[in-house]
Amino acid sequence: MALLHVEGLVVGYGQFPVLHGVDFTVQEGEVCVLLGLNGAGKTTTVSTIAGLLRPQSGRVHFAGRDLGHKSPSARVSAGISLCPEGRRVFPGLTVRQNLKLGAWTRRKSSAVVRDQMSLVLDYFPRLSERSGQLAGTLSGGEQQMLAVGRALMSRPKLLLIDEASLGLSPTVARVVWEVTSRIKADGTTVLMVEQNAGALPFADRALIMEKGTLVYTGVGDEVQQVNLREAYLGA
Amino acid sequence: MSTTLRRKPGKRGHAASEASTVEPRDADGADDTKALPAVAAAENGWFRPSAGGWFARAAAWVLLLWLILAVPANVLSPFDFGVSDINLAIAAVIFAIIGLSLNVLIGYAGQLSLGHQAFVGIGAFASAYVVTNLGLGFWFGVVVAAGFGAVQALALGAVSLRVTGLYFALVSLAYGTFAENSLFAVSEITGGEGGKPADRPAGFAEDQMYYFLCLAFLVLVLWLDWRLTRSKGGRALQALRENPRVAASYGIDVRRYTLLAFVVSGTFAGIGGALMAHHQQIIVPGIFDFQLALIFVVMTVVGGLRNRIGVVIGSAFFAGLGEGGGSEGGGFLERTIGLPAEFTGIVIGPFLLLIVITLLPGGIGQLIGPVKDWMLGKRFDRNAGKLKEVEVSDVRA
Repeated sequence: MALLHVEGLVVGYGQFPVLHGVDFTVQEGEVCVLLGLNGAGKTTTVSTIAGLLRPQSGRVHFAGRDLGHKSPSARVSAGISLCPEGRRVFPGLTVRQNLKLGAWTRRKSSAVVRDQMSLVLDYFPRLSERSGQLAGTLSGGEQQMLAVGRALMSRPKLLLIDEASLGLSPTVARVVWEVTSRIKADGTTVLMVEQNAGALPFADRALIMEKGTLVYTGVGDEVQQVNLREAYLGA
Repeated sequence: MSTTLRRKPGKRGHAASEASTVEPRDADGADDTKALPAVAAAENGWFRPSAGGWFARAAAWVLLLWLILAVPANVLSPFDFGVSDINLAIAAVIFAIIGLSLNVLIGYAGQLSLGHQAFVGIGAFASAYVVTNLGLGFWFGVVVAAGFGAVQALALGAVSLRVTGLYFALVSLAYGTFAENSLFAVSEITGGEGGKPADRPAGFAEDQMYYFLCLAFLVLVLWLDWRLTRSKGGRALQALRENPRVAASYGIDVRRYTLLAFVVSGTFAGIGGALMAHHQQIIVPGIFDFQLALIFVVMTVVGGLRNRIGVVIGSAFFAGLGEGGGSEGGGFLERTIGLPAEFTGIVIGPFLLLIVITLLPGGIGQLIGPVKDWMLGKRFDRNAGKLKEVEVSDVRA
């Protein structure tokens, strides 16, 4: 079943349309990567799915339901969680406090928060070593792990990761990408936004965006063909 | 970073100063697997002081309590605490409550209010009206004042959801001026130029007793403030101040928690206003002017945002500057350079504000941080109390 179905999405900032009708689906239990160059509309797409932007037209269906004008918090409760671009951890709060904030919609149940926290710290052992440290003092890679972990704290059905590799060395970016397979195995569908084609081997499916439209949808190994990368990266 | 961090493991406050060195090392973050086991344990700075250490701390506590509780009551004290002194002490406590109110707004919600004199003033007249015109008790008056404070803060908070930052400060300025020129000009409410009587409750009519009553309210406000920062709501507020968009994307209701901060601030301001009215016993509208609002802001910032004790001390200090007109302390500048006592706050305040902005971002709270931590049983550390806030390392820059 399609967990996420985006239909004819048109989004713009003021007068400027950025997305000109984007359609795609994400199946339950897959890791999907949305690739594209700068300004292709990737972040706009995930921000709209997370409810931070209002589409001018088009629909977002999640788990068979039209999300309509639901607020971001309602979408988190419904099971969509966004790990924003540029990490955006709360620098003045500790790692543990950051994680707890991620579980905001689940705050009534301390058992869920505790379970989820130990799961996240298991994904990223580095975070558990630094759980008492202020997030602003973490390295870029650790902040990215924290941002992903924080997004996982609400126990989402769909995790949106916006540019995990931004500003990270290939080694650290790989650590983050590798975790997506474990996240998938634990039952959360992942939609990654990437500029970096290095994320392709970690994804079951790739969507490629160009100038606000989807130009290619590939499955499995097809996307790993060198010629496709060249086509996408251009000359 | 790993080397610089290991250099002084366990020092509080160094984390913040190290923040700048954290940023550029994104690229080699992978090899930084060694954790800092010492840091987590020593982060809190707890240890077992020696017998002498215990004694010194106990002595400091006794001295502090003596200064707050015994001296104003003229008990066990070689000083003669006169009428003007006790009035000063009451004003200091009331200002501390108002400072804490503004701290919620500026420090927690990140909204600058230049109209706080209206919050306090409306609380003052609400309580005076309840006691004098309706003939109901003081306690009811305080509750009504707190309620009025909360309601008007809620209204202004609703505005702040659409207008933020400097523009909100202007809106609050306009609100303060509006209250000053319209509400406070209605003699039905304020009793006109002559003011409105506001009797103290039975048993607390004496200055000394009233001081302890105000002190009890200060303790209550401090406790509520502490609860606010320790709760999930407090964490949500902190997240909102740092980045409302991200906080919203984790399901935190921006609207609700901004309004919560406003309501809490308004409640505190209402309580402060009521206490102020019954302190002066005849409350005149003239004192709630823009100058007072400026003093409120300055005393809170100089005291140290998000630092309860700092705010209390800063507010008490400015209360002393303003109220000490007749006494020796406030009259000093009047006698030397001919500066009237009611202007001392507005003249000295900006200088202190400059010092705080340039040299001492944590205000008085930062200054007393080492002593406070020491008194709470930690090791003396001159870096304690330094602002722990760190910049976002945004790699896109």
